Amino acid sequence: MAEEVPRRWRDPELLVKALPTVILQTTCFLAPLVMTFLLTFQRSRNFQLQWTWDLWTWTDIFSKPHYWTILLHTVFMAVACVAICLVIAFPVAYGLATRFKAWENEIKVLITFAFITDATLKIYGWALFLDKNGMANYLLGSLGLSPEIVAFLFTDWATLLGMVYSLLAFAIFTLYLSISNIDRSLILAAYDAGAGKLRAHWEVTLPLCKPGIWAGSVLIFLLSVGAFLEPKVLGGGKSPMSAELIRQTFETRVNWPLGAALTLMLMVVSVFIVLLFSRLIGLKRAGLAS
Amino acid sequence: MTKSWYSDLPQYYQRQIKAAGLDEAGLTRRRLLKGMAATAGVAMAGLSSRPSRAAAQMTYMCWEGYNDPRIMDPFKKANDVDIAFDLIVDSPGGFAKLQAGASREVDLVSSDMPWITRLGPAGLAHELNPSEYEDVYATFYDQFKPPFEPLLHEGKTIGVATRWGWVGPCINTDITKPEVWKTYDPVFDDANKGKICVMDWGDWPILPMALHAGIDPYQELDQNALEEVRKVLRAMFKNTRMLVADLTQAQKGLLDGSLLGCIGAGSYLTSAVRKQGHKNIIAVVPEPKNGLKQGIIWVEATAILKDTDQPELAQKLLKHVVSKESGHILSLLDSTCNVVTNKAVEELYTPEERDILQVDYMWKAWDNSQMHRIAPNIDEMLAIWQEELAAAQ
Amino acid sequence: MTAILDISDVRKTYGSYAALKGVSLSVNQGEFIALVGPSGCGKTTLLKQIAGFEDPDSGHIAIAGADMAGVPAAKRPTSMVFQKLALFPHMTIAENIGFPLKLRQKSPTEIKKRVGEMIELMQLKTEYLTRYPRQLSGGEQQRVALARSMVSEPKLLLLDEPLSALDVKLKKVLQAELKRLHRSVGVTFVHVTHDLEEAMMLADRICVMRDGAILQLGTPGDIYYRPAGSFVAGFIGETNLVPITVTKRGEVGIDYRSADVSDADGRIAARLVAGNVGEGAAQLMLRPELLRVLPPGETADGVIEAEVVEMFGKGGTVQYRARSASGLALVVEIPGTSSLPMRIGDKVRLGFAKKDIYVFRAEA
Repeated sequence: MAEEVPRRWRDPELLVKALPTVILQTTCFLAPLVMTFLLTFQRSRNFQLQWTWDLWTWTDIFSKPHYWTILLHTVFMAVACVAICLVIAFPVAYGLATRFKAWENEIKVLITFAFITDATLKIYGWALFLDKNGMANYLLGSLGLSPEIVAFLFTDWATLLGMVYSLLAFAIFTLYLSISNIDRSLILAAYDAGAGKLRAHWEVTLPLCKPGIWAGSVLIFLLSVGAFLEPKVLGGGKSPMSAELIRQTFETRVNWPLGAALTLMLMVVSVFIVLLFSRLIGLKRAGLAS
Repeated sequence: MTKSWYSDLPQYYQRQIKAAGLDEAGLTRRRLLKGMAATAGVAMAGLSSRPSRAAAQMTYMCWEGYNDPRIMDPFKKANDVDIAFDLIVDSPGGFAKLQAGASREVDLVSSDMPWITRLGPAGLAHELNPSEYEDVYATFYDQFKPPFEPLLHEGKTIGVATRWGWVGPCINTDITKPEVWKTYDPVFDDANKGKICVMDWGDWPILPMALHAGIDPYQELDQNALEEVRKVLRAMFKNTRMLVADLTQAQKGLLDGSLLGCIGAGSYLTSAVRKQGHKNIIAVVPEPKNGLKQGIIWVEATAILKDTDQPELAQKLLKHVVSKESGHILSLLDSTCNVVTNKAVEELYTPEERDILQVDYMWKAWDNSQMHRIAPNIDEMLAIWQEELAAAQ
Repeated sequence: MTAILDISDVRKTYGSYAALKGVSLSVNQGEFIALVGPSGCGKTTLLKQIAGFEDPDSGHIAIAGADMAGVPAAKRPTSMVFQKLALFPHMTIAENIGFPLKLRQKSPTEIKKRVGEMIELMQLKTEYLTRYPRQLSGGEQQRVALARSMVSEPKLLLLDEPLSALDVKLKKVLQAELKRLHRSVGVTFVHVTHDLEEAMMLADRICVMRDGAILQLGTPGDIYYRPAGSFVAGFIGETNLVPITVTKRGEVGIDYRSADVSDADGRIAARLVAGNVGEGAAQLMLRPELLRVLPPGETADGVIEAEVVEMFGKGGTVQYRARSASGLALVVEIPGTSSLPMRIGDKVRLGFAKKDIYVFRAEA
């Protein structure tokens, strides 16, 4: 019976109010995703899209290991980037939130500036710094060391350096927010209960930073997975990550169906990993998820 | 070129920015519509219809450089026409865009020759009557005078050749000698590990490697031939220091001596550095190996689109682009320098400019080179490239 | 009795601000002592020095005879209940209470047993053990915080205004709870509060502090009836301070005169006079409830004539505000059942008994 349909679905005012959100979500998120998905069932021949509606693209993806090699490499690099960022950012954020309170604003402004400087310029800056004729080698040379840092540029390590450099600020800021939100008396309570500095860190500060660590990690992971400039410029393009594979597929192979499929594959794997980790660290259990 | 917010960025990104329509000229409704049409990959019939114009207006799809104001401004003034530029980032992309519906907007295209010729079978090109271009061809090098086979489709002329150059090893003569590069062997020499740069430009590095392996990539290839391509690429990646898409990075590596040679490029890469005074950077062409020419000649050509509503202006513009004056400017841009097809331009070159462009070397390069066409198995070869690159990690 | 806590001449300065200006205090085993004073008086700073969160610039703190200099908070036999309770939000109630034992490497079974005992002692429900602090009410959280501080059997329990955030009703309940707890466990409590009334209810001795120094240390009765000065006198409830002039200070008492008070002999016994009173200006303290309205013809040890200017009903009592001829404002509190109703504008005679007064030096 028509009357039994919940009224709110028929409430014209509510429908009108919900419309912008629905339209936005559909056009900006759902529709491109569906189109991307549909595209994967086509083929590309001689740089031209052909509407074939078959599984060639997916067959190709699941039969050739190199897509997966690159994806695995990408995930590995992203995880390494997250780990390094956290390890560097934690003491920095901790210091900012506790020890260097007086310089807090100045330091924040500096980090923000380093952060908003165009990524391209920063990455090329690093390339120049690490270059054969760059500052790094000059310094090493003037210290009497063999200028062998030239071997560093165009390796995965250089890529990682660039990624960490680009994304570190995300970790610092999320951790900083987390740490500065921790009530100082909780730390004192831990000392009072008999915990040394390290123990208090481990038992109280770290667990309470979990939401911040998590937010920063997810952000950095997802941005790392999409890194393309760093592997190209600092990594020398020899060890491409997924974003570069996707670019190559779209641009030089002009194989849009395959590019679309690779994009979806990257998305699904990233989301899966994020979900897996959120389960692992048990954010929900501790009720700290904000 | 005027200074803009992106003009300090590397060339590659400047091109990207312009192609994405983020330059100041690009943010017009016309471009946005066209961009959408191309991006979506669907013909947006009716949506991107031409806005009515009072004064004459044209759209020119071209590589960066053809739009140089020194070339375009005199034409615009003389013909009271406004020209919108649609800059190409990569030739297949430009072609795909035209196919997706942009051909209704564009009047004239300057792109890589194989893609211009393809406009013929795609039914997008306005076939040229060579007799109407006798004045143009009169001063052309004989090699490009009609009937110029690569630009013919079923005997009809599709476009007029404009710039050209050769693909071969780019080297620094201070650390290596041209004689060493009579073949591509140094690329695979263990002694050169970590000293070879490969341009990440789609087919450009693949084709010379195939030629080196004794495979003619311009023929239909069977599985065995593709396996040979795979082997040669695998061997190439072994010694590769870096893969770059950005010209300046490769140029810098050659200049500072960290690179012995760069493959997948050629005169397109070296001439701009030579123009800055670094005459030790040259592009050479290896000698034929087992009867297979090792060099590749690339040609850019200009064609008029069938749907143009300004056929006369388009023809005028085409003639202007290949004219002696335009040719001189076009061959000596800041970003890249290349020889052109109009012999008359040679009269304008100073000895210095001849040297920059390696004019005295160009016919030798020509003689030892294949004419670039679309390789029938390029899809497979690009896939192999990806696989071998991933495996080389 | 043995001193469990011995503080001698402790000083602490933050930058140019002197938070503690030489504090000495001795607390007996099993005592409930309250540190009272307005904010900034140094009471919390003193507590931090005792807990070991900070080290004093100079002076000594000894707990159970052992000097605490250089001993970190973690190693002191003290335990703190924080103002904001500081329950660990990521730990369950059981984990919170058991935390100090876990740090002391106790076995899980022992921890479980002790936590169970504490839950019982604090009259908490056992099903709370698996809950998180934010799932509990304010009063329950308070009990958990107390349980966590008591579980390690500290020699000294330090309470840093733990009741200040609670509403009045709950505060009363928990005050009673604290008192009961103190009696049942026999641990020494050092309780910081800005609420003197709370201190009066709970403490064996009260230490009133101001500007980093101890103004008075004494029993609640001492503090109420024999304050060391007008600050202490005014700190709890309202009081009347009548300016007097001491004309002679003798062995048995003082001679005085006052513009407001008619007193037959003009003398006050020495036991009602603070030691620091000399000849000259002094103040005579009269608690409002100890003033009487004299019926006509009746007299008292001292009499002040005044005019009623305002009145407030306070339920059981009525408070009158009056002004003497010299302009001195007075507060009088009498039972509401009094047979002598007064109206604003009435002239009244207010009487007091000599035994109910106290005299201390006038403060500048």
